[in-house]
Amino acid sequence: MTVKTLSARKNGTARAEAGTEPIPLRYGDDPYVWACWLYYEDHMTQGDIAEIMGISRATVNSYLADARARGIVNISLEPSRLSSLSIAQELKRHFGLHDCLVVPSDDNTRPLIDRLGGAAAQALAKLLKSGDTLAVAWGRTVLAIAEQASVPGLQDVTVVQATGGTAANFAYTPELCASAMAGAISARLVNITAPAVVSTAEIRDMLLRETLIESQFDALAKANKALFGISSLRPNSTIHTSGFFESVSLQQYLARNAVGVVAGRFIDGQGHPVAGPLDDRTIGISLDMLRAIGLRIAVAGGFDKVPAILAALRGGYVNVLITDAATGRGILNADGVTELDQKLSQRPKIDHRATLPSNFRTHIKKFLNDPNDVVEEMLDGVVKAHAAYLRPIKGSHRALVARTGPRPGKVGLVIGGGTGHEPCFLGYVGKGLADAVAVGNIFSSPPPGTILQCANAASGGQGVLFVYGNYAGDVMNFDMAAEMAAEHNIEVRTVVTTDDIASSPLEDREGRRGVAGNFFMFKVAGAACDRGLSLDACEAATRKANARTFTMGVALEPCSLPQTRRHNFEIGPDDIEIGMGIHGERGVIRDKMMTADEITDRVMDRIFSEMQAAPGDRVAVLVNSFGATPLMELYILFRRVEQRLSAKDIKIEANWVGHYCTSLDMVGASISVLHLDNELMELLHHPCDTAVLRIG
Amino acid sequence: MSDNAARRLSRMFYRISIAIEAGKDHLSDLDGAIGDADHGITMSLGFMAVNAELAKLNLDETLPSEVFAVAASAFLDAVGASTGPLYATAFRRAAQALKKDECLSLADQAAIVEAMTTGIKERGKGQRGDKTMLDAWVPATEAAVNARARAAGGAEMWNSILAAAEAGANSTRSMVAARGRAARLGERSLGHMDPGAASAVIILRAMKDTFDEGEREKAVPR
Repeated sequence: MTVKTLSARKNGTARAEAGTEPIPLRYGDDPYVWACWLYYEDHMTQGDIAEIMGISRATVNSYLADARARGIVNISLEPSRLSSLSIAQELKRHFGLHDCLVVPSDDNTRPLIDRLGGAAAQALAKLLKSGDTLAVAWGRTVLAIAEQASVPGLQDVTVVQATGGTAANFAYTPELCASAMAGAISARLVNITAPAVVSTAEIRDMLLRETLIESQFDALAKANKALFGISSLRPNSTIHTSGFFESVSLQQYLARNAVGVVAGRFIDGQGHPVAGPLDDRTIGISLDMLRAIGLRIAVAGGFDKVPAILAALRGGYVNVLITDAATGRGILNADGVTELDQKLSQRPKIDHRATLPSNFRTHIKKFLNDPNDVVEEMLDGVVKAHAAYLRPIKGSHRALVARTGPRPGKVGLVIGGGTGHEPCFLGYVGKGLADAVAVGNIFSSPPPGTILQCANAASGGQGVLFVYGNYAGDVMNFDMAAEMAAEHNIEVRTVVTTDDIASSPLEDREGRRGVAGNFFMFKVAGAACDRGLSLDACEAATRKANARTFTMGVALEPCSLPQTRRHNFEIGPDDIEIGMGIHGERGVIRDKMMTADEITDRVMDRIFSEMQAAPGDRVAVLVNSFGATPLMELYILFRRVEQRLSAKDIKIEANWVGHYCTSLDMVGASISVLHLDNELMELLHHPCDTAVLRIG
Repeated sequence: MSDNAARRLSRMFYRISIAIEAGKDHLSDLDGAIGDADHGITMSLGFMAVNAELAKLNLDETLPSEVFAVAASAFLDAVGASTGPLYATAFRRAAQALKKDECLSLADQAAIVEAMTTGIKERGKGQRGDKTMLDAWVPATEAAVNARARAAGGAEMWNSILAAAEAGANSTRSMVAARGRAARLGERSLGHMDPGAASAVIILRAMKDTFDEGEREKAVPR
């Protein structure tokens, strides 16, 4: 082979120097076969092949890609690995897991526990991050992981023993498992210095009140990741052989249909806790505590464990599962998902390359971890960053309530909508503004349940006002929530905002969508509520603000969703979209690029045609970025807005320029004008204190 | 493992989820043309959540109507958006329709399609010709009702349901949207298939595949 490569290269070089040469006959007339042979059989680089074939490196690259597309080259994966992979995908889909890793079927070279340990050790390197607190349970598998794990470079990681300890004479005690893991990942170690099972409930309660043990449980409560095995209750399982639990008690759990043990707690086939004599005498993480942990990594394999693992999955104790192929298949079989054609799960291949030039960017760069986690991770950040203003309702980051807002005798204001509009809507929660916000997925309304939680939290007995933008999804979800709130004896009134004058003609004012002008409607509604006005009066003031707010947006470039990291559509190099909304949907008209002043004039002409302001009237102005347009350009727009207003002798009572209602990374801006009267002016100046807006 | 009606429905949702996942990018691209490009993501998220909730059920002791009820709340809580209430209401209506006899006879299968369509209509206050998912669901229901009227077999019924849904979805290309975000595009929505109608076809095809398979095995008890 080496000789062949050398001679081929030599010949090729010579030919290339001599200019374009015909393809040697032995490859037929097919440059694809030639390129593929050199690449896959002779293991040459694409650069060398380019030289030999006398073509550019880019052409070699496209030959190789096309050869795969045309089936000239087939790349096959080792089948047992592939099946592991598809089992992992099935498990992930079927149980809605965050991730799933399946090691290939047993090759009889290593014990299963070692192989699972090795796989989990590798997975940990990916899953653990600096600053984590990892709760570690005990067992043979957990110890096998700790023995093989090595995650260098982590900072400020804490390992907390998830259960009390034991005097038992085996190698995989809770203490040892936790300390081995702490050693492997250079983490600070917190042991639980109490027995896992004590003789009476009184002793347990006394121990839990000890300051030292209390502080250890505080550390455990901070865990954001958990690592544990799953034990079956079969006679040869760890649970039996370890002597960890008394055998008398075990029988009682078995009699109550327990099928497995997770972190020292018994569960039945559906994953429900099984009550028994040890419950009050156990010191360690509870099932509820476990379920509240963000990343719950279970490592377990072996056919006898299938019912126990299935139960743990059904109970929601696991969201990352590491198992082996046989066990994984067994779990799926046991849950009745055998019959499905494997081909069904394979996505049809779509070849994008064919239509795209080689320098085409397929992805927009974004700061992401997992694109599916963007909303949750953002909300994590929001809740910490703005803890002074808002807090989660019942632990849910999707429903946030103002720390100082809801109070008896005041109408509650609930706002909300999809994410991707930050600082809308959660930035407007606080004293004098909204009392609660319901948060949906990107550009998607929150579900009724979330909105109802907000209504309950915001209610001070005087009714609740819903204010949100006019979109079919939001209207349906908020309406459903309003019906549910009525059943809870909360009177709800709704103002649907419709400030986007480009989205529908004047005759269809009610069909217009709500965009950045929400800012004014929220402000007015919040002030009316804060002043203790009646529900009727709050609703009326907000409706007036909506009727007198006029917004129009212009986009220069579309936005891209974190999941796709592609533009939803393209706006041509010399085009702009006029009448742009805030969801990345297209604008109403496409036009040629113009100067900033021309664009502002287009918008202001349209606003003036609807606003009917007389000289001397007062307005509030919002120049809002859609996300990627910088302040510099916003000020240029504002400058022209001010010129147009003052030319008509209309006074700007107040103005805001910046990011107030965005559309991810869209390049563009909107201009909103609120035509004030005395009442609206007072409400606009009413003090408020929120994360992004403070007045007074 | 005994096959029962609940298990078949759970398999149906599983199939839907796989099919939606496979068509996710396509649906999002369709949505990108006239909406906000997230339809594929939203639908995939919703059916994933349905699967995860159904996996927690003991299907041997679950009634078919309960499967639909669980699917309804799982879908709604995961999705919100406009598809959330629409399909949640559809599943809830299907659950109510199944409560009569809790089996999956041909009449029940037709009733599921009809009830889902009723739910979507009610919640969205829409109708045929609005360029929405109803342009697939309404003809599908008509086909189901017709097939029942002429006492057609399962395979024939589902073939006609799917054919009607596909034709309906295709017809949305020549419609101007009257509802949803696409409505604000006016005539710019012309020429594009409605993503909601496209995903309705995917759902109906997965339903057809599930019930066809049951048809072949025949005589499935509850």
